[in-house]
Amino acid sequence: MPGGGSSVGDDERIARAALTRVFEPGDEHGGRWLAEMGPLELLARLTTPGPDDVPLPGASPRRVASYRIRAAAADPLRDLEAVASFGGRFICPGEGEWPTQLDDLGDARPVGLWIRGRPDLRKWALRSVAVVGARACTPYGAHMAAGLGSGLAERGWVVVSGAAFGVDGSAHRGALAAGGATVAVLACGVNVAYPRGHTELLGRIAEQGLVVGELPPSDHPTPSRFILRNRVIAALTRGTVVVEAEYRSGSLATARSAQRLGRHTMGVPGPATSGLSGGVHELLRGEAVLVTDADEVAELVGEIGELAPERRGPVLPRDVLDPLSARVLDALPATGAVDGVRIARDAGVTPDEALGRLYELQALGFVERHGDGWQLTRTAVGRSNARRGGP
Amino acid sequence: MGFARACSVALVGVEGVVVEVQADLEPGVAAFTLVGLPDKSLVESRDRVRATVVNSGGEWPQKKLTVGLSPASVPKGGSGFDLAVAMAVLGASERVDPKVIADLVLIGELGLDGRVRPVRGVLPAVLAAAEAGYRQVVVPEQTAGEARLVPGVSVLGVRSLRQLIAVLNDEPVPQEEPVPEGRPDPMLAGLMMPGAGIGTGLAPETVDGPDLADVAGQWAARTALEVAAAGGHHLMLHGPPGAGKTMLAERLPGVLPPLTRQESLEVTAVHSVAGILPPGEPLVRTPPYCAPHHSATMQSLVGGGNGLPRPGAVSLAHRGVLFLDETPEFSGKALDALRQPLEAGHVVVARTAGVVRLPARFLMVLAANPCPCGRHTLQGTGCECPPSAVRRYQARLSGPLLDRVDLRVEVEPVNRSDLLGAGRRGEPTAVVAGRVLAARQRAAARLRDTPWTVNSEVPGHELRTRWVVAPGALYAAERDMERGLLTARGLDRVLRVAWTIADLAGHDRPQPQDVDLALELRTGISRGAPMPTGGGGL
Repeated sequence: MPGGGSSVGDDERIARAALTRVFEPGDEHGGRWLAEMGPLELLARLTTPGPDDVPLPGASPRRVASYRIRAAAADPLRDLEAVASFGGRFICPGEGEWPTQLDDLGDARPVGLWIRGRPDLRKWALRSVAVVGARACTPYGAHMAAGLGSGLAERGWVVVSGAAFGVDGSAHRGALAAGGATVAVLACGVNVAYPRGHTELLGRIAEQGLVVGELPPSDHPTPSRFILRNRVIAALTRGTVVVEAEYRSGSLATARSAQRLGRHTMGVPGPATSGLSGGVHELLRGEAVLVTDADEVAELVGEIGELAPERRGPVLPRDVLDPLSARVLDALPATGAVDGVRIARDAGVTPDEALGRLYELQALGFVERHGDGWQLTRTAVGRSNARRGGP
Repeated sequence: MGFARACSVALVGVEGVVVEVQADLEPGVAAFTLVGLPDKSLVESRDRVRATVVNSGGEWPQKKLTVGLSPASVPKGGSGFDLAVAMAVLGASERVDPKVIADLVLIGELGLDGRVRPVRGVLPAVLAAAEAGYRQVVVPEQTAGEARLVPGVSVLGVRSLRQLIAVLNDEPVPQEEPVPEGRPDPMLAGLMMPGAGIGTGLAPETVDGPDLADVAGQWAARTALEVAAAGGHHLMLHGPPGAGKTMLAERLPGVLPPLTRQESLEVTAVHSVAGILPPGEPLVRTPPYCAPHHSATMQSLVGGGNGLPRPGAVSLAHRGVLFLDETPEFSGKALDALRQPLEAGHVVVARTAGVVRLPARFLMVLAANPCPCGRHTLQGTGCECPPSAVRRYQARLSGPLLDRVDLRVEVEPVNRSDLLGAGRRGEPTAVVAGRVLAARQRAAARLRDTPWTVNSEVPGHELRTRWVVAPGALYAAERDMERGLLTARGLDRVLRVAWTIADLAGHDRPQPQDVDLALELRTGISRGAPMPTGGGGL
């Protein structure tokens, strides 16, 4: 069996594989019983035929009956065989590949994870960021997601997302285009191509990265499973970036669960008029941090010292002039030559001082002398501060 | 015993084939046979011609009469052969001199009262006759203006068969009553295709088109419109209903440079065949505008119909603008059919009666809402379309068609200050058209020794190797390509648009800001490139 260095026995693995068929993702009762009595005991109680003489604590007979129906239908050996047939595996807590960040979910921790793809999930998850967002995104959203995906991948980060249409797909594609690592967390069996239109993308992710799911092979997604899948994305990663989300959006659920788990939450802003960015903006007004590119994401979630390059406008020669010279320079009109006395008056300095400054400016190439008059050089006019509200 | 010939023209699409009309009189039982692939309306010509000749004071020969139309293999239809058949018959019976009519090209329908009625497609017919070496044509008087557009041909416009006989026999020409001024001329009905007249949107506007100054706001879309006109780039306008997409598209023909003489003739020929030429104004000088409804079938878009195909919307928009409003609502088949004309500049349609090539070099403007209800992405409007529906709606436009669109702009809803005139007003059409013309001239000068005239026609390979951009100008575009945000073809498109922007701005080669703006217009993603149109040019 794969998963070397495993401290989990085969029986326990098989029991957990069976329990993924019994409990819906994020079932906290199941998680609590699992922690209290272990998978073997739990499965045994659910599969023992006859009247239920060993009731599960806190569960109504009706609930237990529904678990029993599922447990009776579960065939873990067949599931394990199926996952092995397409090159996948099943990992469970306690094994070497288990990403221990998921333990932060407490009782809602997944029973186990079904995986397609070669790389080690635990190692990848250590340096991963989730990029999520709207399915019906705008071209802007797709562009930003792809840019973040490729930018993060170039910096050695693993991009985790949900393989949905729109932002998720673009983020995966961006990472793949940069030859980077990406993980798709599905709300269905890892061999189920959902959405259908992403069959090819999922194939590429499984080839180049990892496809992960809580649900056993061939299980299908339901609306509630999508929301519960999001908690795994949030828990697995160091931070979650939301690109375009409406007020009512599953991506916001991911961000909120990231916040609950103490992970970083980030948002990419959009136009204030766009309803599709409304949810992100609401997030940003709260605790989330505004990010515009992969550098800024990496700075937030990365190690100490992993800083984004300092952002500022270009330094113009004018900026380094001392204040007095700058005042004299500002006093010159855009066209035509004027005499030194007038410049001195306009700049509010003495004529002698103005003259001294003008010679200095001439040496620096800002002004030129025409007889008694002084005039801005062509380059000085061209490099004015017009974009900063200057004249 | 008696034999005479005259010529007429059969139309195949918008091209004419000169047809020889031969009449032969033999002694025998009186009969009239018409041979040479005539269609139903042409067979009826027998009865029309007989009545007309009798009513024009002529005598109908009581012999065995055979009229042959050759080449016999070309399918012929319509009533335009009436005049030629009548004259050939009159020549054979020696009412007129057969030698005089032998080299005449005669086009026109005959009324039973002897009047000559106008027919559609006179311009392409006369063009074909001139090309075949004929120098004299006779056409109905109402279409004489159209026929005179063809250089090197002497045109005689006649009002009745009686007049024509008199002219050919050097007799005094009888005056036919002209239609009194102000009354509609019932004869003109023959020129107009039913349902294609003024008010249907198919006929070209005779008054000056709408002005760009009427459009409130929309600075990005204005820039895109100007670039589209200057470089011949196809344009896609994306935005909620009521933002002004249609307004903008309607104003594009006004910004385009006026048609050259050759282009005018091409456009007029197509419109003449389609029957949408305004009678008083035979030459189309301004680029046409055609906006088919989204229920249009493939046949109505690319051309079709029974027998010989008639020009569709793409041909009516030849050298002008084809505007597809609500593009996602068009049928996929109809949209896919646009690919050939977009690529080749013409469309080839096959029907039972033959294969026809119609010109179709147009500037395409697509408009689309963001979702079925049109409110998606708008703040606080309550779009309730599920994401999958939005996606499906947008996916209807994917693939090869969108790939040919160089410019994609988001048309924002107009805000109050722009609408109520508090904001600055946009430039009028004339100013923008001036800049477009100057940019086209710059491009034409650069492309002087090449087969292309506008930037959108230049193949990517040539564009990359023959002309170079300013150093470092492509940095942003190359970066996007490395990240998989832009395909290789996309980069070519950006380059093409960048050249047009440089032409508009008067740069010798694209500067970094030109490429940035091109990138912004191509991908629809704002990059902070200044959009200067409306304020004072690029």
